[in-house]
Amino acid sequence: METLQLEVLTPSGPIYNGPAKSVTLPGEEGEFGVLPEHVSLTTLLQAGVVDIVKENGKTESVVVNWGVVQITQNKVVVLVDGAVAIRGESEGDIAKALDEAKSLINSVADSSAMIASVSARIESAAHHLV
Amino acid sequence: MANLKEIQRQIKSVSNTQKTTRAMKLVSTAKLRRAEELAKRSRLFAQKTNQVIAEIAGRVKCNKVGGIENRCFVENNAPEMIDIIFVTADKGLCGGFNMQTIKAVKRLMSEYKNKKVKVRLRGIGKKGIEFFNYNEVEMLDQVKNLSSAPDMQRSSEFMTRSINDFKEGKIDAVYIVYNGYMNVITQELHINRVLPVNVDSYDCDKADNTMLELEAQDEEKMLDSLVTKYAEYNMYYALIDSVAAEHSARMQAMDAATNNAKEMVNSLKVKFNKARQEAITTELIEIISGVESMK
Repeated sequence: METLQLEVLTPSGPIYNGPAKSVTLPGEEGEFGVLPEHVSLTTLLQAGVVDIVKENGKTESVVVNWGVVQITQNKVVVLVDGAVAIRGESEGDIAKALDEAKSLINSVADSSAMIASVSARIESAAHHLV
Repeated sequence: MANLKEIQRQIKSVSNTQKTTRAMKLVSTAKLRRAEELAKRSRLFAQKTNQVIAEIAGRVKCNKVGGIENRCFVENNAPEMIDIIFVTADKGLCGGFNMQTIKAVKRLMSEYKNKKVKVRLRGIGKKGIEFFNYNEVEMLDQVKNLSSAPDMQRSSEFMTRSINDFKEGKIDAVYIVYNGYMNVITQELHINRVLPVNVDSYDCDKADNTMLELEAQDEEKMLDSLVTKYAEYNMYYALIDSVAAEHSARMQAMDAATNNAKEMVNSLKVKFNKARQEAITTELIEIISGVESMK
């Protein structure tokens, strides 16, 4: 299966850089998924979760607080202000990442419904990892 | 004999200075490594952000995206007032690092003043601020302790004023002048026009035909928030780049100082030995002539 080239960049360094089968992004006007051969698009992201389906079929979640995405042919560049990837070697690491992600979301989200939905999603993502 | 003591004292003082400068060099080397790492990681983001913005700006310029009249992308040929933001270090002892930036700012200011454009100067970094205060140049802002410890939030807050004034039409351009890091031995002076976005380099003919879809309802809003982030981020990047450059400049300056001190100690030692030899010779002559006179 074809893959797309995904880059998730923050001012303090890249979070993800590599091939992916698909990626789901929290667009300003609602969530949307991107598969290879997507039409070119530039749009804003709101605070939420970026779900990356990696080449091996595993999913990785990255929590972002603001961003812009540029999709050109098979390349997806996500530029974000602050991002926390839900991953880690041990349960402790993952729990730490979860806490960081929650505080990131709390700092930008204005509705408690959004915080709750993001928290629920990242918790289930973390659950799959363990 | 007094002369000998004097030289000895000098040697001691110079070698003490040498110790200090060597220590400062080591400190700078360590700090440089950290700053360099930070700048390197951030550089990719900087490039991509500028690329995205340049593409949008280019398309607006080439009228490929209709209906957008945002002053962030349109060059103003008759500016009335501009902002110049400069970044210098908070500390000295880094060679010509600060002076280079100051000179560039002065040049840019006089260039615009000749065109009868009002210039608002906003300063970051103690050394530059001190210089312009001493020369009684008016400054809108004076921010200290930011250039030695770059902070995204503080730099964004600082930048917000320029961005808002620009959007409201109070000012027509925003420049950032800073000395950036190139490699360990070179710094590169940057004079970046952040707003309006520079579209000169964008070639309409060469633009590929990929579609650029902007959400129709609030493209203005999107561009607005994108430009704000872009400007804020450019400010932040200027700060971290400047820190890396500052440390590399200081490292170099301290290295040169250490070498100079070493040379000075050597020449003082030669001088000391000569003086010592002279004293011995004089003493010998005195003894011999004493003996001779007794005969």
